Amino acid sequence: MPVPFESFIPFGVITGMFLATATGIRYAQTKRNEGKAVRYSLDDWDRKMMVRDKQLTGTMRGQVDNPIAPPEFKVNSSWKVYESLRNDFA
Amino acid sequence: MVNPGYRNFKGEDWVDPTPPPSNLPHVDEIGSTSAPLKSASFFIGSLCQEYNEDFMLCKNENRDPQHCLLEGRKVTRCAIDVLQKIESKCLDEFRNHWRCLDEKNQEFGRCRVPERAYNECLFRAFGWKKVVPDSPANKPQIHERTPLTK
Repeated sequence: MPVPFESFIPFGVITGMFLATATGIRYAQTKRNEGKAVRYSLDDWDRKMMVRDKQLTGTMRGQVDNPIAPPEFKVNSSWKVYESLRNDFA
Repeated sequence: MVNPGYRNFKGEDWVDPTPPPSNLPHVDEIGSTSAPLKSASFFIGSLCQEYNEDFMLCKNENRDPQHCLLEGRKVTRCAIDVLQKIESKCLDEFRNHWRCLDEKNQEFGRCRVPERAYNECLFRAFGWKKVVPDSPANKPQIHERTPLTK
């Protein structure tokens, strides 16, 4: 008697669950990093630079290359703004 | 204006609660984020070496912020000057390189191809060469080595 096809259905379900997990994780990470890959092996220097990037662009992964900062940069540091707007979540 | 990320808090209403004293000379801050700074880092380091070393030695004497304001202003102005020069002549190669760095976890070793074009452009425009400080003199620089595999 050949192998019944019904016995492969659970394997298909298991594979589908793996694919769903992978898709969900990839979607969440891409959304959170604006389409770029996740940054790994971050040390304190990188975390503090990302907080500075958020001061300059509004998001942790945004990048701009102006030599001179806009005047808001002098006042929008989280140390000058009150607690609820602290932007050091790196 | 509305600062990005602070939609409900207008920038005009923000006031610095502890402004610096008014007798200090004005200095612009560097407005570039981490990836462009990392891309320009070796050139800033080699061109601004005297100012950076002055600042570090000054901080070594005394960690009080007021002690090293003059040296700090010089460091900032030198870095701004280097960035302005790079952007005046080699803007496209610079942008390619830091965009590549931004996608590859800001690791130099994964972005050698754009880096080669960027270094060549800077050498043609200003004669600057990227040199890793304290590297052994008898071996080629790591960014100029031909890769063993494709």
